[in-house]
Amino acid sequence: MLAAMTPHPFDLDTLRRAAQLAGFAWSEEELQAILPVAAASAALLATLETIDVGAGEPSTQYRML
Amino acid sequence: MNDLCGRSIVDLARMIATKEVSPVEVTRAHLDRIAALDNTLRAFITVTADRALAAARAAEATLAAGQPAGPLLGVPLAYKDLFDTAGVKTTGGSKILADRVPAEDATVIRRLSEAGAITLGKLNMVEFAYGPEGLNIHYGHPRNPWDAGTHRMAGGSSSGSGVAVAAGLAAGALGSDTGGSIRIPSSLCGLTGIKPTYGRVSRAGVLPLTWSMDHVGPMTRSAADCAVLLRAMAGYDPADPTTSVLPVPDYAAALTGDVTGLRVGLLRAFFLDGAAPEVRAAVEAAAKALEKAGAVVDEVALTEVRHVAAASFAIMGAEALAYHAPLLRTRAAEYDPDIRRRLEIGVVITGMHYVRGQQVRALLRAEVDAALAKRDVLLAPTTPVAAPPVDARQVTLGDGPADVRPALIRFTRPINLSGHPACSVPCGLTREGLPIGMQFVGRPFDEATVLRAADAWQRLSDWHARRPVLGSAP
Repeated sequence: MLAAMTPHPFDLDTLRRAAQLAGFAWSEEELQAILPVAAASAALLATLETIDVGAGEPSTQYRML
Repeated sequence: MNDLCGRSIVDLARMIATKEVSPVEVTRAHLDRIAALDNTLRAFITVTADRALAAARAAEATLAAGQPAGPLLGVPLAYKDLFDTAGVKTTGGSKILADRVPAEDATVIRRLSEAGAITLGKLNMVEFAYGPEGLNIHYGHPRNPWDAGTHRMAGGSSSGSGVAVAAGLAAGALGSDTGGSIRIPSSLCGLTGIKPTYGRVSRAGVLPLTWSMDHVGPMTRSAADCAVLLRAMAGYDPADPTTSVLPVPDYAAALTGDVTGLRVGLLRAFFLDGAAPEVRAAVEAAAKALEKAGAVVDEVALTEVRHVAAASFAIMGAEALAYHAPLLRTRAAEYDPDIRRRLEIGVVITGMHYVRGQQVRALLRAEVDAALAKRDVLLAPTTPVAAPPVDARQVTLGDGPADVRPALIRFTRPINLSGHPACSVPCGLTREGLPIGMQFVGRPFDEATVLRAADAWQRLSDWHARRPVLGSAP
């Protein structure tokens, strides 16, 4: 399941779909311009899949109320 | 420099309360200095001179009538331009919000005003606080006052705050810190700045970058000044559900100057090892000085920091895009193209990445907690280098060349993820005369110990008392 977290390879079609899902109507030129950074960012995100987080719950803040 | 513009907040508050100087005199001195220097320094987006003088006259009347006065009566401050100020435009450093005028003050602005502080104006910053270099193409890049010859980065995103306080344009300032935006400009501009524990200070009325990582705090010229401002700002706020109801201690009372037995964990792996040699040497010298003064120093490692870049991108990228998506869909062309691209790249982040990032965050927090279970504070460089030139794309670190943006946030960002309090203090100057900063990291809601360590260091050293030379300005 984790392998599906980050599409690989992260190509133009993947970026186009991601942009559409977020509501952006980027031109082909804009997509091409963003693709290298998007692919590098996806590779960085993919490293999250390799981390053993055990059964730890996601946590955002201290709740010392 | 007019002596009043170099005085600490503690001194000014005392001098005003005892009628040694008038609030109007203090405010005028700062406004004159802003008028003389800010065309070059670009610290301010808006100067509220008339309002400031009116407030100063009101403060003077309060004193003359013998009415109760707040602890900051007549002290001139300035605020990063993402804190809402009633009737005064709050732009977030953007062109898009250039005409935005809030109806109400942010909670922290209201609290400081109630304590008697005078608002000099709103400070330049990275557009929407998304970047550590401190640059702004819309309002001009703030200039680090420590180098008259080379236009250097002030550090960001609270760059105007760093410049204004370092140059004596304001006695203190507020910044916000999502990846280091209080501590980085404090380090690069030779200031003391504290990022409190997440939940210690209200974010209500503050333009967000990343809700779960944004922190608000003071930037001043000493730990003692930070203590005074933090006390006035901190505490539960019903308008910010993440604020804690824990009582706010008297931070100034905690500044004993004594570090005897203070347990300091020096972060070498990743932190000291990743810093430029001059920075590493300065922090090591500071650790030795603290040890000589009675602190107990050992070394400790945080192994989970290796995952911070990915985790913080997953969280920050997703939250920032969620906030900006409506504007990006309709007004993208009005963003700085570089900031726009950084925001848009968030489309690659999935919900699973975001959750995994928060799981990594929990691991990191537990590791920092464990390191602090046997120590009072951790000590690390704030930034791996001193202020780079504004056009620098790379810097040289202890382990080789690195892109300037990730380099600047390398040592600060982990503590935004973990939420612990951290205070940056000056600890040296490079051969080029540029400030070096180090940060004390403490237990959650134990800002008192963090400030005690910072203040004790400033009683052992005089780096925080050094000032940039700015010619013959008033």
